Amino acid sequence: MAKLRILYETGEPEKVIEFDPAQAPFQHDGQPGSILDVMLGHGVDLEHACGGNCACTTCHVIVKSSMAHLSENSETEDDLLDKAPGLTPTSRLGCQAVIEDSEDGEVVVLVPRYTINQQV
Amino acid sequence: MAVSNSSRVTYEATIERIFQHNLDTRSFFLRLLSDQQLTWKAGQFLSLLLPIAGETLIRPYSIASSPEEGNLLEICLNLVPAGPGSHYLFARTVGETLRFTGPWGTFVFDQPPPAECVFIADGTGIAPIRPMIRRALASGRQPPLQLLYSALQGADLLYRQDWEAYAQTCSWFSFTPLLSNPPSGWSGLPDSLAEYVERRYVSEDSDRSRHFYICGVGQQVTQLRDLLRRAGYQRRAVQYEKW
Repeated sequence: MAKLRILYETGEPEKVIEFDPAQAPFQHDGQPGSILDVMLGHGVDLEHACGGNCACTTCHVIVKSSMAHLSENSETEDDLLDKAPGLTPTSRLGCQAVIEDSEDGEVVVLVPRYTINQQV
Repeated sequence: MAVSNSSRVTYEATIERIFQHNLDTRSFFLRLLSDQQLTWKAGQFLSLLLPIAGETLIRPYSIASSPEEGNLLEICLNLVPAGPGSHYLFARTVGETLRFTGPWGTFVFDQPPPAECVFIADGTGIAPIRPMIRRALASGRQPPLQLLYSALQGADLLYRQDWEAYAQTCSWFSFTPLLSNPPSGWSGLPDSLAEYVERRYVSEDSDRSRHFYICGVGQQVTQLRDLLRRAGYQRRAVQYEKW
């Protein structure tokens, strides 16, 4: 079993999901086994305006722990993160970051307060 | 289980008109309810909230109309054989209501850059490109604008009459159609999209000041991105959206 801990910049209570990565996908949006897939598949919301197709930045999360347990960034993901508000060195798109293995340490992500992607 | 976020502003619009471009491509013209306003930039998309099989499916559709057209929004899409979103929409009729959030997306065109612009679209990838080109043309005479538009066959070249009319009336705009399944006697160019781009924008000259806006479905988009960036075009001068 793997573990994903979700913190919120808004201060709402954190959530913890324990899951079996071999069971992915857990629903239909985002990369199978991605942070988005795990969250939505366990009833935890995460914005994903493009349907998890790596075409926006609304599922931006900041990884606080166990970055090495996530899949590598693609150039497309990096191009989008380049335009994400509040970008940090450990920013990822939830729809693309696949949790490959967290047997020896939980993955911890922070959901930023704003996903200001509306350009207006 | 998909979960839709209720914290976002949700818009409602009535389907005012449906236009059939060809056998499997339609435009839906969505009229926002009178008390709603949507401000957006050329290239952005709407995120439709579709009630399908007891869930709310989130499906993004680029806005094919221009921001200046007010609260009548056009989305343009193919019927995807295994796509529940497009099947749901193709079953809708005039007068029905759709819900969506938006505008979303960072593939935008606000002001024309001071350099030649090349728009590359494949199939319904023309949707976000269309308002970009109209915005660029409305800005008046400027560095050259080119539209390179590929499709399977002639009927799939959407808004073709518009592109041909613009090319006739605006000397700085050119339209190059490419067909992957051309009829006999087709007067267009024989290259594939990648071959044409490589020859025209990489091999033929050393100008690397152009700006590119690319939209389409699948790996072809990122292959074009890689081709152009490897050839020396600035990373941020190669903008794209891959669906």
